[in-house]
Amino acid sequence: MKRKYIGIERKEARWGFAFTVPAILFFSVFSFYPILNALYTSMFDKRVLSLLPPNFMGLGNYTYIFTSPDFWNSIRATFVFTMGTFIPIVIFSLMVATFMVNLKSKHARGFFQIAFYTPAVISSVVAAAIWLLIFDPRGLGNQWVNAFLNTPGIDRKWLADKTMVQVSTMIVYFWKYIGYFVILFITGLSAIPPAIYEAATIDGSSKWQAFWRITLPLLKPTVVLVSIMAMLQCLKTFSTQYLFVQGGAPRAPINVITLNIYTTGIRNQRIGRASAMSIVLFLIMLIFTWLQFRFSKSEEVEY
Amino acid sequence: MEISIKRIPWASIFIWTALILVLVFTVMPLVFMLTSSFMTSRQIVRMPFSWIPETFHYDNYIKALRGNDGSWIFPRNVFNSLFVSITVAITTILIASITGYGIAKFNFRGRNLIFMMIMATMMIPFEAIMIPLYMVATGLRMQDTYAGLIVPFLVSAFGVFQMRQYLTTFPSEYLDASRVDGLGEFGIFWRIVFPNCAPVIATLGILSFRGQWDNLLWPLLVTQSEKMKTIPLYISKFAEEKLTDEGAMMAVAVIASLPMFIMFGALSKYFIGGSAVYESRKG
Repeated sequence: MKRKYIGIERKEARWGFAFTVPAILFFSVFSFYPILNALYTSMFDKRVLSLLPPNFMGLGNYTYIFTSPDFWNSIRATFVFTMGTFIPIVIFSLMVATFMVNLKSKHARGFFQIAFYTPAVISSVVAAAIWLLIFDPRGLGNQWVNAFLNTPGIDRKWLADKTMVQVSTMIVYFWKYIGYFVILFITGLSAIPPAIYEAATIDGSSKWQAFWRITLPLLKPTVVLVSIMAMLQCLKTFSTQYLFVQGGAPRAPINVITLNIYTTGIRNQRIGRASAMSIVLFLIMLIFTWLQFRFSKSEEVEY
Repeated sequence: MEISIKRIPWASIFIWTALILVLVFTVMPLVFMLTSSFMTSRQIVRMPFSWIPETFHYDNYIKALRGNDGSWIFPRNVFNSLFVSITVAITTILIASITGYGIAKFNFRGRNLIFMMIMATMMIPFEAIMIPLYMVATGLRMQDTYAGLIVPFLVSAFGVFQMRQYLTTFPSEYLDASRVDGLGEFGIFWRIVFPNCAPVIATLGILSFRGQWDNLLWPLLVTQSEKMKTIPLYISKFAEEKLTDEGAMMAVAVIASLPMFIMFGALSKYFIGGSAVYESRKG
């Protein structure tokens, strides 16, 4: 009897292993090996076109990138883009989500959800292409802003001015992802039991008070998580910046880290240097992911 | 709820106004894409912009398909995008579900370690490993092939995670009953477990399809010839030559968006549910 029991257990283990092995092999080759390889390569002066074996440089690539104004500019561009995108996106999507849960008509809510989400459905390259035309000097961007501010004929230089081109990339991202974040917040808001609001209403609190005193504190974990998620996404931004540069916008103001890695590694064939940049990007994102896990563990709310 | 009858509902007027403004902001650029795809370049940049094309200038679509160099390569690029995205969606569903099943329902040494390792890969951003990955692809002679476009995305850690979470609650009694009935382990997976994963399969399929449909960075690295390129690359080439033809560029954009719009129209609840799933990633 005992022997047979062990047999079943072993058989189970064998099958479990068989089912998971393909994925393990896959992740080893296409995730773990590349990141270790990036770490290794970042210590060498590797250039693809060179036939000489690469020289060991130790931390040479890191000292190079951290003393190069070009890389600091990329870090600046990435952080400006991340802060300038995720803060408005979180605040606006929270506001819009609050408005939407207060809609009495279910149909209206469903309609707005779908309409706001539609830009997230198209690909980011298409989004950038559309806005490239809107930001044309004669395009809709200038027409709308000038109609709104009543300043006919002024060119805002959406793609030419170094500040405006950064704002433009933020607008594209904001437009594309607002609906996505609205839905995340609606999920969070619907999890708050209505009984709490009823109690507050009975106690004589207004909607405004209820929002600040009940909704926001209870929603804090969702806000923190959504913020970190938004930041992680913004740190990885590539398509919009790439397409804008292709379309003729100045590179320097929007030369985010990913774009710099691409240019350094693929166009200029400086593999070692690009690997060092990749490791820096990885570490930055690791810190944010760690924060995400920490918050998600400690801030869980039970109703 | 409220008893007063004649009160003007300021709050709801405010909410509706705000939501309609957001609606205008989100929808207008899409309408712009559609209408300007039927306009000549001159009409697109005319001030003020007229939202209805005077004549349906469908010539843009022919130009989009023909390309600026007259090579007719765009249909091939559309096919590439479809082929890569569909294949990745299928493999992700299959591999993620079998791996998730293995982790959720089988006890074996190292199970938790394996799960943790797969989860850890979620912390590695693709952008940080693209260059070594490119060298792996070159080493495996996969550059400029479909394999090169597909293989790095065969399965995603997030997919494994979702499947594992879903299958943990799957009743083991069914599995044991099937074993008693003499069904093999693969048979159990394929006939009992897999068909029961439908909701996760839909979400995961959409997410993976979309990931590749939207992928610009990897095809940019791994493809060289025009005939292996995907839609995002074709668009970015158009952007470079933008001054040539705005209308054709928007026609390309419309064609590139059609499959996503059709999927979204048919399966919107899985799209929207899919983003809510991200939320459940916590914990």
